[in-house]
Amino acid sequence: MNKIRILLFATLRQQAGTKAIDLEVPDGTNVRAIKEQLGREFPALRDSMGTVLTAVNREFAFEDAVIPANGEVALFPPVSGG
Amino acid sequence: MRPPTVISVTESTIDINGLVERISVPTTGAAAIFSGMVRAVTRLEPRHETAYLEYEAYTPMAESKMRQVADEIRDRWPAVEGIAIVQRVGKLDPQTPTVLIACTAAHRDDGVFEAARYGIDRLKEIVPVWKKEVGPGGERWVEGHYIPRPGE
Repeated sequence: MNKIRILLFATLRQQAGTKAIDLEVPDGTNVRAIKEQLGREFPALRDSMGTVLTAVNREFAFEDAVIPANGEVALFPPVSGG
Repeated sequence: MRPPTVISVTESTIDINGLVERISVPTTGAAAIFSGMVRAVTRLEPRHETAYLEYEAYTPMAESKMRQVADEIRDRWPAVEGIAIVQRVGKLDPQTPTVLIACTAAHRDDGVFEAARYGIDRLKEIVPVWKKEVGPGGERWVEGHYIPRPGE
C-alpha cells in the first residue's frame, strides 16, 4: 500500500471541504481506481468523479495511467481560466 | 539569443505596458495584445450582473501549461519574437484585467495577431485555472467544457 496526496481544486475542493486528501492506495493503482476509491470514501465527491480531470505530476492523465509512488495527483473540473 | 518569454500566475496588477516592454527586442516593430477583464454586465443569455470574480489556479501546472502554449505558438508562428502569458488570480473587480497574452515580432504580418488569438483560446483549454462568479444571484463556478486528449 502507498499513501498518496490528492490535490483538489475549484468545485472539488469546495465539495470536499479541503485542498488535499491523503489516501491509502494499493501499489500500481491507476487513475480510474483512484476516482472510484475517492467516490466510495468521500460521498460528497461521488457525483463529480464522472466529469473530473486528473493530473499526475502536472500532466493530464487518463484512466489506465498508473500512479507512481510519490506522484503528485490532482483532481479538478474542466478549466475555466482567462 | 533566446527570445523573451514571460509566463506568470500572479495576484498582482497586470502591468500591460511593462510586459510589452519586457518582450520587445531591438528588431521588434509590432505587438499584438489580448487583455481579458472582468465583465460587469453579461448580455449573452443568461443575462446577469457580476459583482466580482474569484480565480483559483493549480499554479505549478498552470505555469508549465502556459510554457507549453508559448512553445506551440513558436512552432506555428516562428517569426514571433517575444511572448507574454499572464493569468491573475484572487478576487477581481469589474474592469480589472485578468489575463494578458502579448506577442511581438518585426512586422504585423509575422503572425502576432493570430498568435495572440491562439494563445488565449489555448489557455482556456489546457491551463488549470478556474473562476467563480459572484453576483446578486449568488455564487457560481464558471463551467469549462474542454476535455484534453492524451499528449495535450
